Formats: sequence, C-alpha cells, structure tokens
Amino acid sequence: MTQDVEMKEQHQPSNSTTSSPSTLHHLKEIASLIETGAYAKETRRIQRAVRLTNTLRRKLKASVLYAFLNFALSAGSESFNRLISYLPKEDEHEMEVDTATSVTQAPAKHPLPELEIYCYLLVLIFLIDQKKHNEAKACSSASIARLKNLNRRTVDVLASRLYSYYSLSYELTGDLAEIRGSLLALHRIATLRHDELGQETLLNLLLRNYLHYNLYDQAEKLRSKAPRFEAHSNQQFCRYLFYLGKIRTIQLEYTDAKESLLQAARKAPAAALAFRVQCNKWAVIVRLLLGEIPERTVFMQKGMENALRPYFELTNAVRIGDLELFKSVAEKFSSTFSTDRTHNLIVRLRHNVIRTGLRNISISYSRISLADVAKKLRLDSANPVADAESIVAKAIRDGAIDATLDRANGWMVSKETGDIYSTNEPQLAFNSRIAFCLNMHNEAVRALRFPPNSHKEKESAEKRRERQQQEQELAKHIAEEDDDEF
Amino acid sequence: MDPKLTEVSQLFERFKAACTREDFNTSTNLLSQLKVLLTGFRSLPPLFENTPNAVQELTIARDVFEHAVLLSVTIGDQEAFERDFFQLKPYYTDAGSFLPQSPQEYMILGLNLLRLLVQNRIAEFHTELELLSPTALENPCIKHAVELEQSFMEGAYNRVLSAKQNVPYKTYDYFMDLLAKTVRDEIAGCSEKAYDYLSISDARQMLLFPSENELLEYIKEEHPEWEIKNGSVVFQKAKESAPCKEIPSLQLINQTLSYARELERIV
Repeated sequence: MTQDVEMKEQHQPSNSTTSSPSTLHHLKEIASLIETGAYAKETRRIQRAVRLTNTLRRKLKASVLYAFLNFALSAGSESFNRLISYLPKEDEHEMEVDTATSVTQAPAKHPLPELEIYCYLLVLIFLIDQKKHNEAKACSSASIARLKNLNRRTVDVLASRLYSYYSLSYELTGDLAEIRGSLLALHRIATLRHDELGQETLLNLLLRNYLHYNLYDQAEKLRSKAPRFEAHSNQQFCRYLFYLGKIRTIQLEYTDAKESLLQAARKAPAAALAFRVQCNKWAVIVRLLLGEIPERTVFMQKGMENALRPYFELTNAVRIGDLELFKSVAEKFSSTFSTDRTHNLIVRLRHNVIRTGLRNISISYSRISLADVAKKLRLDSANPVADAESIVAKAIRDGAIDATLDRANGWMVSKETGDIYSTNEPQLAFNSRIAFCLNMHNEAVRALRFPPNSHKEKESAEKRRERQQQEQELAKHIAEEDDDEF
Repeated sequence: MDPKLTEVSQLFERFKAACTREDFNTSTNLLSQLKVLLTGFRSLPPLFENTPNAVQELTIARDVFEHAVLLSVTIGDQEAFERDFFQLKPYYTDAGSFLPQSPQEYMILGLNLLRLLVQNRIAEFHTELELLSPTALENPCIKHAVELEQSFMEGAYNRVLSAKQNVPYKTYDYFMDLLAKTVRDEIAGCSEKAYDYLSISDARQMLLFPSENELLEYIKEEHPEWEIKNGSVVFQKAKESAPCKEIPSLQLINQTLSYARELERIV
C-alpha cells in the first residue's frame, strides 16, 4: 500500500516536467493531487499541492483562473458564481475560448469540498497579487464563512493557508482590528476540532493582530493561555518565536527574549530575508539592553548591511559608552527607529550607555573624583556631581562595577579584581556547559527515534502484550543494575 | 431626553458636588449608585450597541469614571484607582473614535504610569507606554512620568526628587510622596553597598530627613544592622565570594557520577 503511493508520487512530478508547461495544465494536476489526497485522507499530498501552487503564483492570469474554475466547480453552483464575480472582466473573449475546451474535458460532477476551498485560495492569492484589496477582503470573508461549516481533516492544510491570506487582505487595507473577533472564534473552532495546524496559524495571526496595535498585554494573556503543542510548521514556529521575543522584550524579560529572537532568526528559511532582518534588529537591541555587545559579523550578514546600519552605529555608541554620540545617533536615525517601532526601546538604552561608560572608567582608574566621572560621562544636569554619586552607588549595588565610594573626599575607589579561580565560579560554569552538551546529545538521540504510536495499528493485541512484558523485564533489569552501581 | 440619562446626570451632579465639598463618604456611596445605573446603558463597553443616545451615554460614563479615578487618588486608595482606571480605559482606546478627546485623558494616563512606577511594576509600565502615540509622549504629563522612570533606572535620585517641584497637576502629589519613600529605600539600599561609612549629617542629607532624630528612628526600624560609631553610620558589608577554602565534595561527587552515567549511555 505505502509503496503504491510513493510510486504514484514519483510519477506526477516527472509528468509535469515533460508535458507542456501551460499553467492551466499544472493547475489541473494540482487539482488531481488534491482529489487523490482527499480520497485517501492524506494531508501530505494536499501540503504538496499548496507548495506547488506557490511556484505557479507569478503565472496566474484571470483567463487561466476562469478556465480552472470552470473545470473544477460545477457551472451553476453558488461558490462558482461568487468566485467568478471577483475576477476582472476585461478579457472576456479570451476566456470563452479557453472555457470551451475545458468544459468538454470536465465531466459534470459534484465538486469535493477540498477542491472548492482550493479554488477560493487560488482566487484569493490572485486578487492579493493583483492588489485588488477590497475584492480580496470580500473573497476571504466568503471563504471563511464557507470554512466554518466544513469539518474535514483534509481541509485543514488549505484552511490554515486561507486564514493567513484572510488576515493579510485585511492588514493591507488597515482594518486588522475588525477581524479580531472572527479570528478568535476560528481559533476556538480549530481547538475544538483538534486542528493543530489551524490553531498554530490562528494563534500567530492573533498575536500579529494584537502587536500591530501594540496591545502587548492582551497578546501575552492570550499566548500564555492558548494550548501549546509541538510545532507542525517551521514557518509558523518561527513567527511564534518572533512574537514571543517581542512581547518578552517589552516586559523586560531580556534573557528569554534574546533566546526566542535568536532562535527565530536562526530557524527562519534563508528566503525570508525581511523576517530575518526584523529578528536581528530586535535581537541586537535586546542584547544591548542585556549589556552584551553583538559581534560585528551580525551586522555584516549578506543582504542586511544596509538595513542594520542604524543599529550598528547605535551599538558602537553603546560600546564606547559615550552619551553624546548615543544621542546624536538616536536623533540621526529617529525616523528609522520609529518606523521599526523600536523607539521606546532605544530610550531605555540610555541607561546602558551610562553603565558601559562607568565600567570603562572603573577599569581604567583605581581612584577618580566624582566630578571627573560626571565630566567623562557627560552628564548634563543641574547637579552633575550628586547625580554621578547616586548613579555610581546604584551601579555598585547592581553589581555592574566593583568599587566603593568615599563621601568625605568625593572619590570613587575601584577594588582590585580578585582571582576568580580561587572561588567555585569556574567549576560551576564548567558544569553548566557540560550539562548543556549532554542535554543536547540526549535531545538529538530522542529526535532520531520514531514518533510514538506510528506502528501501533499493525501490532496485534497479543504481540503488544509480549512486547510490554519484555519492556518491563528490561526496565527491571536496568533498575537492578542501577542499584548495583551505587 | 431619555429618563435614565437624566437620572444619571442628576446623580452625577450631586456626586460632583459631594466631591468638591470633600465629603468622601457620600461621594463613594453616590459613585457606587452611579456605577450600577451605568450598567443599564447598552451603548457602553463591552456591548457598544449603537443606541440613539450612544454619544451622550458614553461621554457621561467616561466623565463618571474619570471622576472616580481622581476620587480614589484623593482618598489614597490604590486598589480602587486600578479598578476604576481599567473601567475607564476602554473609553479611551475603543470608544476613542466616536467621542471627542477628553481634556483629562493624558493627565489620567500619566497618573496611571506614575502609579505603576510607585508600585515598582516596571514591565506593566512599559506595556502601557507602548500603547501611547508619539503625540501623547510629547504631552507634559506623560513626559514627566517617562523621565521619572529613566532617572529612577539610572539611579539619578535627586532628579526624581526635584521633579516633585514641577508636577503638572496637584493630583500627582499623592503619588510623588509615595515615590519619595520608595526613593529613600532605594538610596538606603545603594549606600549600604557603596559606602564603608557615612557621617551622620551626610546620611541625613542623602536620605532626606529634616532632623537627625528622624534618621536614627529610621535606622532603628528599617536597618537595625547599621552601626552608629563616632558620629558616623557604619555599614556592615556582607562578605561575598570569599576565596573558597573547602572543596564542596558531596556536590562534586554527585556531578562526576552523573557525567559517568551520561557518558556510559553515549558509549
């Protein structure tokens, strides 16, 4: 059985490469792929169909779509009429010719719901590519209404794509707030139907929706309460990590934010350049806020040099610890920062610039007067010495510098840095690294195993009993061995 | 005019009068009556139904909650402030498009920011900040709170205290006084770590006490571990990360055994 399927799959691509490259022909092949997928209840094939559609995206024309709709849907049906109405009507003539040939080919039949949804998806993609935003909105809303009444696992893949385009079409016209309620309802439906891919997609769309209006509080509440499971789609997982990173940054959980953002940047496909640039921008700021200085290679990644330029100069200012330079950079690129919506984060950075400057001073001088500290930090306030004193005091308390203050003389005295190797510190660091490596190895081994339950159906009841018994014995054996060891 | 609306507005007038008389018992009573009456309007959040009187109803409801927030500041009830503010917020965010902007909006938003700062809820402070438009950030009330937070994070405490002199509204005084207390605790915490000792007069000046007696009282209550010797305050410093003399053997054995077990699994 499985062999059979694989054979067929190998046939189809070879067919499509040898035969004439007409778009309509390709679409028909995709349609047949969806049909077989729907009959055999294999979502894998439908996923393939969606992928193939993406490659055809540029070649779509109104005439081709018209012909395809004629082929896939029965002429008088409601969805057919609706979809046709969205297509532009200029080249009616050309269409007639095309349809005449295709109608004869297609036998009159009741179309599969999968195919119908696919038609919606195709038309929607076409409308968005043609920048017909209002039609796209109408079309997507109609498709969502249709989807709510369908409960088939084979539709899920197509549905999740439709959700993204639905949200996109509203975002393009700037009405994202309108669909929030309907997205929440869809998320609820997807949860009830155990449609995990749909849940994943919808959760991301909702997070995007909230973050679009800077509603971090709502986004975090939804995120922390929505059910989580192992990611089905890498792209959706990347998006999720990115949104998570943004939320955490705003809520000052920089360490976690950095982890999510870097992971998102690393996992994102190479083609998604704009996404990776965004991730890197946020990651740079978060690392600066943490007091780290990102390496130069981060800013020199291919295709990102220009986009990351403002952030590079910012990093430079923070690294030197020069408040004047920092201010001028923030002003110079203020328009970039406000379009990136990172302006408020940049404001937070001022504090880090002072810290870095202070650390540099504390390293280079063993004793320095507070007036000089104020001058070096270029604090511009009414009472710079008093400011410097309390800033230094706070830095000492937070552990940023190791020094003491002498109030009577107005000095800051840096302490000798002690020998770190006389403490337990190195041993702890070494241990945490070893634990990390071992953990990574274990996870890698676990990832190599087969998913649970994948072979369950073939196993008869008797065999299972036998296997369980064996497993128990083995477990006992291991436990005994463990006991022996200690 | 709708009878319900007239009732609410009459009650609201009485409530305002009670507020200006500073009769807080009556005003809190009237306020709870008002809130109950407001639930009868279907145009208010979360329903947002488009009734014929929607604009008047929303406006009066917003006014009621704005007064409620200000009242809670005057009584000094932070919990009531939080509750009332959250009831008021939808009128600014969701109903903002069909109402003229309230003249009190920025003042109240600034107050809320200040409250979060006083309660040291910095994460929420920044979350609220993200919701504000660039024009809002330019407003003196908001700017005041933002600058306070910055000075607070940097440790420039005297800037925080001098900000008290130029508060935009009188209602801010309540939170500014609370903030002064928070700042004093912060300064005490910092000095403890930063100085070996401080003369009593210096300490009094830094911790903002008008007299030395109050300082001594404060030390007795909050920091009994500080010593007073020869006219100066000596801070006991915790000796941290002292060179380790002993080898933590038990921990080491455990770690090594776990490495051995993991390695065995690999090989």
